[in-house]
Amino acid sequence: MTPAPRPQSETITQQTDETVVTTMFRRTQGTLGMFLVMGLALFCAGALLLSLLSVCPAQHPAGQDPRQSTATPNTSGRGEDPLLQTFSQALSLIEQHYVERKTAKDLIYGAIQGAVGTLDPHSSFLNPEEFRELQIETKGKFSGIGIEITLKDQVLTVVSPIEGTPAFRAGLRAGDQILKINGTSTKNITLTEAVKKIRGPKGSKVTLTINRQGFSAPQEFAIVREIIPIRSVKARLVEGNIGYIRLANFQDQTDPDLRFYLRKFKQKLSPCKGLILDLRNNPGGLLEQAVQVADEFLNTGLIVYTRGRDPHRSMRWYARGGGEGEDLAPLLVLINEGSASASEIVAGALKDQKRALIAGSKSFGKGSVQTIIPLEDGSAMRLTTALYYTPSGQTIHEKGIVPDIELKEPEPPKGKTLEKIREEALERHMKGEGITDKPWDQPMTAADLQQDPVLKKAVELLRKGLPKRGAPPASS
Amino acid sequence: MKGNDTDNAANPTGRRLRPRFVTVLALVLLAGFWGQPVFSAESKTYEALRLLTEAFYEISQKYVWPRGEEEMLRGALRGMLNSLDPDSSFLTPEEYRDYQKGEGGPEAEAGLELVVKEHLLAVVAVLDGGPAAKAGIRPGDLLLKINGQMVRNLTTQEVSRRFRGAAGTVVKVQVMRNGLIKPLDLAVSLAPLARPKITAQAVKEAFIYVRIPYFTDDTPAELATVLKDLKRRQPQLKGLILDLRNNARGSMEQGVRTASVLLGDKEIVSTRGRKGGGQVSYRGKPRDLVLDYSLPMVVLVDQGTARAAEIVVAALRHYKLASLLGAKTFGLCGITKAFPLKDGSALVMTVAHCYTPEGQRITGVGLEPQEAGKKPPPGAGPPPVPPPMAEEDPWVQQAVELLKGGKTLTMDYPKG
Repeated sequence: MTPAPRPQSETITQQTDETVVTTMFRRTQGTLGMFLVMGLALFCAGALLLSLLSVCPAQHPAGQDPRQSTATPNTSGRGEDPLLQTFSQALSLIEQHYVERKTAKDLIYGAIQGAVGTLDPHSSFLNPEEFRELQIETKGKFSGIGIEITLKDQVLTVVSPIEGTPAFRAGLRAGDQILKINGTSTKNITLTEAVKKIRGPKGSKVTLTINRQGFSAPQEFAIVREIIPIRSVKARLVEGNIGYIRLANFQDQTDPDLRFYLRKFKQKLSPCKGLILDLRNNPGGLLEQAVQVADEFLNTGLIVYTRGRDPHRSMRWYARGGGEGEDLAPLLVLINEGSASASEIVAGALKDQKRALIAGSKSFGKGSVQTIIPLEDGSAMRLTTALYYTPSGQTIHEKGIVPDIELKEPEPPKGKTLEKIREEALERHMKGEGITDKPWDQPMTAADLQQDPVLKKAVELLRKGLPKRGAPPASS
Repeated sequence: MKGNDTDNAANPTGRRLRPRFVTVLALVLLAGFWGQPVFSAESKTYEALRLLTEAFYEISQKYVWPRGEEEMLRGALRGMLNSLDPDSSFLTPEEYRDYQKGEGGPEAEAGLELVVKEHLLAVVAVLDGGPAAKAGIRPGDLLLKINGQMVRNLTTQEVSRRFRGAAGTVVKVQVMRNGLIKPLDLAVSLAPLARPKITAQAVKEAFIYVRIPYFTDDTPAELATVLKDLKRRQPQLKGLILDLRNNARGSMEQGVRTASVLLGDKEIVSTRGRKGGGQVSYRGKPRDLVLDYSLPMVVLVDQGTARAAEIVVAALRHYKLASLLGAKTFGLCGITKAFPLKDGSALVMTVAHCYTPEGQRITGVGLEPQEAGKKPPPGAGPPPVPPPMAEEDPWVQQAVELLKGGKTLTMDYPKG
């Protein structure tokens, strides 16, 4: 299947269906005592991840498994385990007879992928390259020039330069065709390859040969790379003292960016007629960020808790107070079937603590936490290590968050394909006409709202007036 | 805590991943190192296996639900085979016994050709008029679920077996189709397949359209009969359009014998194994030749053209007997062989690739048409199965134009 390629910033956001966060894992190792492993926990089968930890992945390959040294010497073990014999036999058969020569590593990557494939759909294997990509995305920043690109009619095209970045300052514009990167033609290039070539170390230079309507000949733009933040938070004022904030996912910079807009809204919205927190199609991200986002709106009370295989290792997160959004009310949270994991934690906490009304359609229903476990050669596994529960003890697993107010997206017009819908949204974005393409303090007009029928209904609800929800009852 | 629904279902012994397994694997590896090879462990192999051990250990310690050892091992085998190519598969002991029973053929089936490619289960071809076609499954569809279960980590052979069984069995599938916003839920009722018939139909007085829906042992003789009839009844025939689109079923032998009807005593395909070893060349037979007169020909191909059909197409192209029109073929033409394992399960592995007479590999590559078929209008959906009437089929019309323009490649045969 070849759906229209989605635009990519220089990070690969295409596979980012979900995400999550850092927790600490304690592990007891046999009789040798305890040692700490910091792990990255991710929610969902998605893709974002955090800063790298001080993991020593080589701590426990077979040879060093403490259980081995304490167990009775099992010298007769060799050759006894039929499953193991079967695997060894298969490996050697492939090495001998398969039509092409395969490296042992490729075969083992396939095998690990297959073994992890017997687990839940949110567990997966990441080869070294995929693992590196994941780290970039969860950091919420990368080194590059700051453009979103796509393939339009098979030509590498700038969707938009990100404001304030080197690309923006160099004068790149939406619709510019990138004919060459550092002198090499972009003909038949894939988006992933293009992203890789445009990104590079901070301070280094990349030269793009640009074709633009109005140019008599293609021109070269030499641009110096810098650290580019990936913005996961967008905001707009809405006419009538209403604020709108959209979270695209949850990465390292999400909460700091959210705080920035909440502070602005506190000044601008007086009296505040309402705030809309849009979590639609937000696949999740870092658990820690989900907790902090919920904490911005909650003064006190439980946000979420997790349970792993060992019940003693359950963790609970509470609101600490002092959040920037505590006074902004009424709060309306928008969700849909594309809102998953970290999004569901936020929606679940705000719903259970009666801080917000939830509107939209039922969320995805992904109630598990994934931990990224680096393996010794630079690859990694994303393993489901815990389930999480909303403050009222509900699991989100396969159930999702049910909205208080159902707002349905209109059915797409008949005959309109997904591709077509995406293309139209991309066109709007390239013209800078998407809802979140304009400056945050330029109030949304009726014409803007026309693009998004669900948001329009949400605004109407707030204008009519929602019951203000107070602090949660003391008992919870 | 709610258990995982697939947890241990396939683990009758209820064994868990235990440290013992890890220990034993380590010992086996060391044994390999010390010169008592369980298999020849080069240091790279050893390192790679250590990685697997590490992964298994982590899963045994950290995964939220306890896992069965046997299921994990089988998963690893499936993953390893899937990483090779779409034809390489794993068979459980039950599946392997079934496989050995051979070609008696199932009582009933869905009539579709599937492969697992890049972790997706794709429909290569749907047999004309078969149950899958009636249920609305189309070539190019991706199967997401079978009977409500997500398709994960299955190999081609195994998944194909789910679509065979007793007549009347209903298999529910969820399919994703290019251009659709939501997946479709479809139900296929397994049924015995009717014998495929080669159809021939006149187009624009002087041309004939012939469709082979898929290959069987009878196909070569049937095609011979059709061609003989044409020669007798329509001596003024100006061109032939051979439709091999959406045709992915047929053995190498069936492909070679069919090509033999059109080509006679010529090399049709060859196979080569590891490092070019075990090269075998397949030739047609002089006495099979029926098309012993010059007849301009266009062959229609698409992504559903695979296996026997690709062998025929490659040979026709090589001897300039026909022009190819349509889209690139699938590239599925390997020779597979089953290797039983100690526990009764088996690997089905590709041991040789197919090569065209000019030496181009077909497996994993496919064949490019000389003339691209016109793209359907946007939002048109997948092409119908079976194809539309020749007069309404845009590619057939395109082929007619090609034949009228005399642009096809032809080869003169001595009048026989």
